[in-house]
Amino acid sequence: MKQYGKKTFLIILATVIAAIFLIPLLWMISTSFKNDFEAIAGGLNWIPKDFTWENYTYTLFSQGVDVPIFTWMFNSIFVGIAGTVIIVTVDAMAAYALARLDVPFKKTLFSIFISTLMIPFVITFLPLYMQFSNLGLLNTYAALIFPYTANAFGVFLLFQFFKGFPKELEEAAVLDGANKWKIFTRVVIPSARPIMWTLAIFSFMQIYNDFLWPLVATNSPEMRTITTGIAVMQQGSFVSSYGKLMALTTIATVPILIIFLIGQKQLIKGITQTGIK
Amino acid sequence: MYNQKTTLKSKFTSFLFVVPYLFLFISFLFFPLLYGIYISFHDYNLLSQENPFIGLENYMEIFSFGSSLSDLFFEGLWKTIQFVIYSVPLLVIIGLGLALLLNSLPGKIRGLFRTIYFIPYAISVSVISILFLWILDTNSGLLNNFLMKLGISPIAWLTELPYAWISIVGATIWWTIGFNMIIFINALNEVPEELYEASSIDGAGAWSNFIHITLPSIRPIMLFVVITSTIASFNVYGQPYLMTRGGPGDSTEVLLMSIVDQAFNQRELGSASAMAILMALIMIVVSIIQFKISSPKKQGGN
Repeated sequence: MKQYGKKTFLIILATVIAAIFLIPLLWMISTSFKNDFEAIAGGLNWIPKDFTWENYTYTLFSQGVDVPIFTWMFNSIFVGIAGTVIIVTVDAMAAYALARLDVPFKKTLFSIFISTLMIPFVITFLPLYMQFSNLGLLNTYAALIFPYTANAFGVFLLFQFFKGFPKELEEAAVLDGANKWKIFTRVVIPSARPIMWTLAIFSFMQIYNDFLWPLVATNSPEMRTITTGIAVMQQGSFVSSYGKLMALTTIATVPILIIFLIGQKQLIKGITQTGIK
Repeated sequence: MYNQKTTLKSKFTSFLFVVPYLFLFISFLFFPLLYGIYISFHDYNLLSQENPFIGLENYMEIFSFGSSLSDLFFEGLWKTIQFVIYSVPLLVIIGLGLALLLNSLPGKIRGLFRTIYFIPYAISVSVISILFLWILDTNSGLLNNFLMKLGISPIAWLTELPYAWISIVGATIWWTIGFNMIIFINALNEVPEELYEASSIDGAGAWSNFIHITLPSIRPIMLFVVITSTIASFNVYGQPYLMTRGGPGDSTEVLLMSIVDQAFNQRELGSASAMAILMALIMIVVSIIQFKISSPKKQGGN
């Protein structure tokens, strides 16, 4: 009986905490369907008295406004996918070679890569800005993509996996006369798929959600990403127009939330694997 | 002879696998690192044509107390440290608390609650900040409207101290706590079951188990969480930039905001770079100290 009461208490506690996590998100959605007048009036009504799609139609389709929201969404998704593809490809090659092949000075190389995991972004973002500025590449996709690809996190994550990869599979392929590239693409990559998905989800979320770098690297409205774009709107023409702001943040959140819910298992695996080692 | 040739060729083809990453690493991490140090040794203004070499002068100015650059750096640093002190203990304790709570729930509903607690982690800092800006709005915000229902008068969450800090810390916890929780859940599951079984024979209670078995077992993970949370909190930028704009006054203007302001509003890139390098050094030193203090002599890091 006492055990039963304790269980109930824990479930109630967990539910109250769940409410704390969900209420702000539900309020965001609720506000996005209110007109500005009702939003500013305050109150606690969850169902808008005067339900309206106006905030969405305005932010998405209104002519001549300074909200190129489709462009921002495209930029974010494009930059996220391009960066992720580069990271996963390049990191897998490097990690595999460092873990399994006869790369000269591989221990030194690996230590140098790994030691940079300790270096905070604050130390490189100003020189990166100058670098892209000198090359005339601010406000380009290159500036929004490449700085993320230098991160050694993926090399570290995949290195751990390839270290434990069974020798027999490689050896069988060698006997068949396959060269290193063939072994890598036909034998190694297929078996590394789950861990590569983990890295992909991590990378996409990091790039899609990043704030400071895209804020610094872009200033033209059509090169903004969605995360920096909404920050600009909040300080610009949407200031205190919370209905529209909440429509904007809801739109910005939907794609990443879908990816998060689909890739949650991989994401958790990645966090725990790097957490333990 | 033949053998040597094949190993050389083999080493070369193996090296080719590393080349693409090495190229990106050098171009976008290693070179910027050196370039940043180079810039910090110059009187580097974004608008002027000439940027003369001035050696360590930017650094010396930061350390000549009373100069405006020194004030900017150390006041920013103090606010960042305040944020670290307020946020890190909560991020660790609440993260562990949520993990313990989830682990004691029936298996069927555990996954659902884990997902709910973890959701905010997927959202960008600008969405989080603007959402909390709205919820914490003094007149129309959800929180004050709720408090008013309870008969509590409205609080200026974003424009008065200590509420501005409470808001920034609260939003940060809400946003990132899921990450620490996930790490703790995994650590708790790794604690060998036999340890608890042995102690239940001794008749130990839940609290005693927690102190004598759970905490010592998850100690290395605890250290990992403390260090990653400290680093994340040092990097705080978006929340104060968007929620309080550094206010009231400049009481929440953290160091990274000061550096960005010095670089892009004052256009003094040289001194901004020196500030950034010092900030990075402080972060590295702090994590090394935390590691040294908390790691037991018999190296339990793995």
